[in-house]
Amino acid sequence: MTERLPLSLTTCTSCGKPIPPGSKSTKFPCPSCGEIQIKRCEKCRKFGRNYKCPKCSFTGP
Amino acid sequence: MSDDEIKNSQPETEPQEAQESKVVETEPEPQELQKPELEPEPEAQPEPQPQEPEAPPVREAPVADGDELLLPRDTLLSAGIHIGTRMKTRDMEPFIYRVRPDGLFVLDVKKTDDRIRVAGKFLSRFEPSKVAVAATRLYAHEPVKKFCEVTGATPLIGRFIPGMLSNPQYPNRVDPEIIVVSDPRADAQAVKEASDVGIPIVALCSTDNEFAGVDFVIPTNNKGRRALAIIFWLLSRQVLRERGELPADQNPKVTIEDFEAKISRDDEEDT
Repeated sequence: MTERLPLSLTTCTSCGKPIPPGSKSTKFPCPSCGEIQIKRCEKCRKFGRNYKCPKCSFTGP
Repeated sequence: MSDDEIKNSQPETEPQEAQESKVVETEPEPQELQKPELEPEPEAQPEPQPQEPEAPPVREAPVADGDELLLPRDTLLSAGIHIGTRMKTRDMEPFIYRVRPDGLFVLDVKKTDDRIRVAGKFLSRFEPSKVAVAATRLYAHEPVKKFCEVTGATPLIGRFIPGMLSNPQYPNRVDPEIIVVSDPRADAQAVKEASDVGIPIVALCSTDNEFAGVDFVIPTNNKGRRALAIIFWLLSRQVLRERGELPADQNPKVTIEDFEAKISRDDEEDT
């Protein structure tokens, strides 16, 4: 029997919840430092929730 | 008071351009001047002059003297990039500096300046042809056209045809990696499609805009002709500087006047 690999989903930078594949999420480099990928889930984009870069502490949107 | 007099006494809603011109002219406020006259003054003061309005006109600049802006503060303020609207959204509260007596919300110029710097860095990380700029608003057409000429971005001017981002069968479809919108409300179709496709959105937001779907906000007056010209000029300069195509102490050959939307004679006479 084959061993099951753990399914790892990317998590939203704003709410910390896993982003399901196929959702209307987005990812982009941090506008300020550009080193960290900011990922935003569909809901956080829709409600305009804030995100914070873990490296440079830039807060958006 | 008759009905006609009541109508005449009520100020009509003015367009944004007219409000911008008020920025310098409205100080000192006439309402404050009238207040001391209504109060009974003692006889010892023959000429009751209100002292507060006589202070030198205070520019609406919440900026410390030591801080350097991308352009001189007077240039930014005379263009009215800090002038918002009479409406305020909760999203835009962190960027609002104060509310004027006439009800206009005023944006923090320092925060606008900071955001333009960060936006320059952000946009310079993408390939020039993969940056799209949408401008439905008439006064944003010329600034966006010039911005795209200077930086090599893709302009989406005028009506945003539904499916331009999301319909793979549409022949004139564009496939950007990031999109800039001049007003999230006017360019709602572009914001909606970019959200569906998963493209990050940079938006010029005034005090009445919401952050729904927007990933990066530049707080500014997004309705004024001069304000839009300055914002896009600054943005293009920052992008060129961040890419290394322009030295940090030089300006591009294109001037702010080139970015301004032209007004024809007919439009001037109508207004």
